[in-house]
Amino acid sequence: MPVSSQLLKPVKRSFIFFTFVVAMTLALIPWGQFARAILPDFIALVLLYWCMNQPRHVGVGWAFWLGILLDIADGNVFGQHGLAYCTTTWFAMSRHRQLAMFPLWQQALYIGPLLLANQLIMLLVRLATGSAFPGWDYFLGAATGALCWAWMSQLLQMPQRVDKPAEIQS
Amino acid sequence: MQATTQPVFFKQGPKPFSLLLIYASLSLALLLVDVRWQILQPAREAVSVLLYPLQWLATAPVSAAHRVSDFLVSQTELQRENRKLQDERLLANAELLRLNALRQENEQLRHLLATRDAQHGKGALTEVLYDDRDPYTAKLVLDRGETAGVKLGQVVIDPLGVVGQITRIQPLTSEITLLTHKGHTVPVQVLRNGLRTVVYGMGKENALQVHWMPLNADIREGDELVTSGIDGTYPAGLPVAKVSKVDRNPGLAFAQVRCLPAADVDKHRFMLILDEQRALPPQPPAPEPFTPKKSRKKETL
Repeated sequence: MPVSSQLLKPVKRSFIFFTFVVAMTLALIPWGQFARAILPDFIALVLLYWCMNQPRHVGVGWAFWLGILLDIADGNVFGQHGLAYCTTTWFAMSRHRQLAMFPLWQQALYIGPLLLANQLIMLLVRLATGSAFPGWDYFLGAATGALCWAWMSQLLQMPQRVDKPAEIQS
Repeated sequence: MQATTQPVFFKQGPKPFSLLLIYASLSLALLLVDVRWQILQPAREAVSVLLYPLQWLATAPVSAAHRVSDFLVSQTELQRENRKLQDERLLANAELLRLNALRQENEQLRHLLATRDAQHGKGALTEVLYDDRDPYTAKLVLDRGETAGVKLGQVVIDPLGVVGQITRIQPLTSEITLLTHKGHTVPVQVLRNGLRTVVYGMGKENALQVHWMPLNADIREGDELVTSGIDGTYPAGLPVAKVSKVDRNPGLAFAQVRCLPAADVDKHRFMLILDEQRALPPQPPAPEPFTPKKSRKKETL
């Protein structure tokens, strides 16, 4: 069911903050090399979700600062994540009204390339600063991220859903 | 004009695109600054302190899981591991024993080399092939023989002292008679005071002895006996024995002096054959045959 066709409660800022904390914690878990390649970029997913659904709360600024945090946590060069997240966030935001009308699987078709763009930008930055190519499995995360999109959207939407839709509809 | 007067309902703050431009350029600037000058380290450190709780939270479940799985290791697995470790320990012990033997052997060889250098480089290293089969004699068979230039009468030493002398040579092997062989004698000198005497071997199991010492001779327990070199066989100054017991029994004509060989006579595998040609003084002329004088005979009669 498209997001726009549902009647939702307003989102709480504290919940947005909480989801970012959870995403950051997931990103900081020391996954093995295989799991790290397979797993999606949780922060990018959450960020894109909020940018699409709550563009007045979460925007390019959030993307930038989250990117800085991740750069510090991973020990990368400053601005690597920031640049990628800002760009993709803007793409999501600029189309958010249109995207909200699509069903979730079609949204995923848009989100997947955005995640891939994220990784491409980061790859370009790393290659420009003299790192080695990490291998093709680096891009698997974008695919799994797109697959996770519907499931994650439902999850993040849960607190906003009206408790008794039957009563309202009647 | 329209942009400024748009209803509050649609207002979304600054335009996302301008925000994007601002933040993207900021990212690029940070990137360049960080790559070029590395001056953002303090900021990095400060923020990483803030991130630490999250990092702890992220790693805590994993380490907790590790701890739990460590605790729940099954009995059989522990037993298997224990058995494996014991096997490995046995193997390692065997290796270690061999290693110790090798180390000792190496040490002996080094000592022998040092001894040979002290003998001005003359001497041939030799290995003991086997103990002589005859239980009544104290002899060893070495792996050097006539072809290696071994000659009769050459002295064999080990790192600690004289072992014996070569008494029989064969083309490829030679036989040494040990100091302890019964009746084998070595002319020696007490290192302390230069007293000259002779050490007698007393058989394989027994110690050496010094015979024919007067009761009041100046020889004590602990005295070191070295070769005196007056026999022409043994070069002077090699350690031979150490006095272990002096028994001055007034009921006997001589003091009983027991000694222990300085060398580990039948312990080593490697020995050194000394190659020292000593110029012996010419043999004294043979005594004239005894011819009784008749005149003296008459006188006595």
